[in-house]
This record gives sequence, C-alpha cells and structure tokens, in this order.
Amino acid sequence: MLVARYTLRAHRAAFLLGAGEESDDVVQEAFVKAFQHLAGFRTGEPFGPWLLRIVANETKNTTRSRRRRAALALRLPSAQEGGTAANGPVDEVLASEQRAQLVAAVNALPDLERQVVACRYFLDLSEAETALVLGWPLGSVKSRTSRALNRLRGRIVPGEQTRVHSG
Amino acid sequence: MESELRALSRELDVPPARDVTAAVLQRLDERAVRRHVPVLRTGFLRRPRLGWRAALLAVAAVLAVLIATPQGRAVVIHVLRFAGIEVRQEPGPPRAPENSASLPGQQSMSLAQARRHVSFPIVVPAALGRPSDVVVSDRGRVVSLIYRRTPYGLVRMDEFNGRLNQVVFEKFVHAVRVTDVRVNGSRGLWFKGPQEIVYITRDGTPAAASARLTTGNTLIWSTRQVALRLEGNLSKTAAVAIADTAH
Repeated sequence: MLVARYTLRAHRAAFLLGAGEESDDVVQEAFVKAFQHLAGFRTGEPFGPWLLRIVANETKNTTRSRRRRAALALRLPSAQEGGTAANGPVDEVLASEQRAQLVAAVNALPDLERQVVACRYFLDLSEAETALVLGWPLGSVKSRTSRALNRLRGRIVPGEQTRVHSG
Repeated sequence: MESELRALSRELDVPPARDVTAAVLQRLDERAVRRHVPVLRTGFLRRPRLGWRAALLAVAAVLAVLIATPQGRAVVIHVLRFAGIEVRQEPGPPRAPENSASLPGQQSMSLAQARRHVSFPIVVPAALGRPSDVVVSDRGRVVSLIYRRTPYGLVRMDEFNGRLNQVVFEKFVHAVRVTDVRVNGSRGLWFKGPQEIVYITRDGTPAAASARLTTGNTLIWSTRQVALRLEGNLSKTAAVAIADTAH
C-alpha cells in the first residue's frame, strides 16, 4: 500500500528537514492530506516529490512554533562521535572526526541553506525536485546550494550572511 | 564537498519510523464522514468483515499502486477493488469497435438453462420483469441479464461468483464520480457517467474484445454469494430501488 511504501522516505525527509521527535506525526498528517488531495493529483506526475512537498510543508508548520533549535540538530550514531573511535586505525579516526565536524557545520548553516543541503544531498533530490519539495524557484535552489557549499568549505565567514540565526 | 555530504548522508542517525497506516486510514474515514464528501471509502479496511475469504463478500480495499512508466519514473494509480470489480483511476485500454464489444464465449440461453451453467445462484431484479436475453459467458463465469424494454431503455445486469477473490471486470474512472450507497443493507458503489470497462479473464488478463464504454450509470454491489453490476440510463434512486428487488 502507498502508505507503507513511502513511510520510510517521508519520515526521513521530515526528520532531516527538522521535525525531530514529531516526525511520525508529521508523516501521518502528510499522508492524510495527500489522500485528501489525491483526486486532484494528475497521474503522470511523479508521486514521490509531490508527497515530500506536503511533508516539507507539514514540517514547516510543526517547527514554526518551536523555539528551541536544538531539536533540529542532525547527528551521527553515538559510536562515531568524538572519543569512542579513538582507538581505531588512524584514518578511521580522522574520517569520523571529519564527519562529526561536517555534521556540526551543517547544523550551523542558516535554515534555508540547511534545508537545501538536506534535500539535495541527504534526500538525494535533483534541483528540480528540490524546488518542488521546498516550494522555491529553481534559481533560489541553485544559489542557496552554492552558498551552503561555500560556507561548508570555509569560504564564507560565519556571521557574514544576511540571515544569521542565533541559538 | 558534495561527495562528502553524500557520504555523510549514509551515516546520519535517523530514528526508526512508526507505521502510520492504521492511523492514516482512521483519520481519512473520520474526515470523509464529517465532510459528507463522496470519496472512495477507505473505511472498508478498518472493518474487515469476518471471512472475506469465506462466504461473506467483503472485498473493498483502497490500494494505490505504483507502476513504472516507460520513462522510468513512478506514478500513482488509484485503485479500488470491490465485489470482483477493480476500479482504476486512469484511461482504459483501446475499445472494441462500436457496439461490437463482447465477452468471451458468449452464449444465449434461457434463464433456467443459465442457472444450470453457473456455480452461483442467479439473482433476478423483480422490478425489471423478465429479461429479454440471458447470456452466459466465459464458460459460466459471468451471466448477463439484458432488459431491452424498460422505462429507462436498455439495462443490463452482470453477475458473477462473489465468493472468489478474483477480479472480473476493470473499470476506469475518476475518483470523484464514485459514491457509496446501500443496497439491501449492504454496501454498494454508484458510478456516475459512462466509464471504460474491460473484462478480466480467469488468468487475470484483460479480454481486448470486451473493452467498451458503459451506457449511462453503473451500480455495483453484492449478496453473500453473488457480485452484481447494474448498468443503464438509471438515476441512483432508480438503480438502488431496482437492486433492492434483486433476489
């Protein structure tokens, strides 16, 4: 059934776009809305991005009222964070430290840049699909992606960007 | 950086997803009732009748099926199965030439003979009187009662064994044209307007020569043993009234 087939993907999207503990509720709400609108769905359109768009909107609705950004933080499985890998082979230790740093850097991105990174690299959506899911013009997808990548590469000084979120 | 991000994607800790299917269906059912909007009733799944494999015909499941198009992208086809009829929200197969559509192995005979040819009790709608024609098709799998001189013009009633978990006809419709009705206390579905329909043979393949556009409207329902469809230029009220007299 459609729900079973898409649950994992929808849940991953909700979580990575910031729904945190409320991901299950977001997914449930998204499926209900998707079925309500299914009569108007044009067969021939790909279903995945269409559903994920609803998931993204529901996630936005859910997180809008939230004040703590801590719940939005992505993380690695705890075995990889910091010390426990320290006794492994050198290159493994380096790799896991790099990963931990990268996760921290992604978490520190401004909201919009973090969302586009989640869509393009963590959910494997194309630029066009990302535009559909986030409801942005294609140009915005491209420009925010390149800003995010530049920031992650260390080419933008934190605080330089127009939208800086604290806390 | 991009490849690092993609590598990172595989490592991210995403908590397990809860299966929300039951909750979703329950919410849909509640919403449908509150809004009084004709929708394909997903509530069927919530109250499966005892023994949908046994004597009672309780098959109504809303399925959304993914198929791969030639371009390799998946699309959703809305599918409903009820009383041996599969309803799909998509265009149907190419139709047989005008008025020539037929079911495989069609044979005309008397009603008494037909009763001996089929494995289920033939149901006759008393309100329509005697059928003009009785046609048995596909070696007794389907019986069609044809009524030529009703106040509504030509009306046909197709009947087939409701106890088998098989798809016998496929209809191709728009979801908004399907509504719930009750016939003799059990569930039925009312389809407004002509739809494309095709007969599905015992091995599950569509019989191309049977593909046609229906006339008027269609009502489908079932008794404990027989699945039924009534087709013609009937209003919903008339169709349900006729179906109520079918025993």
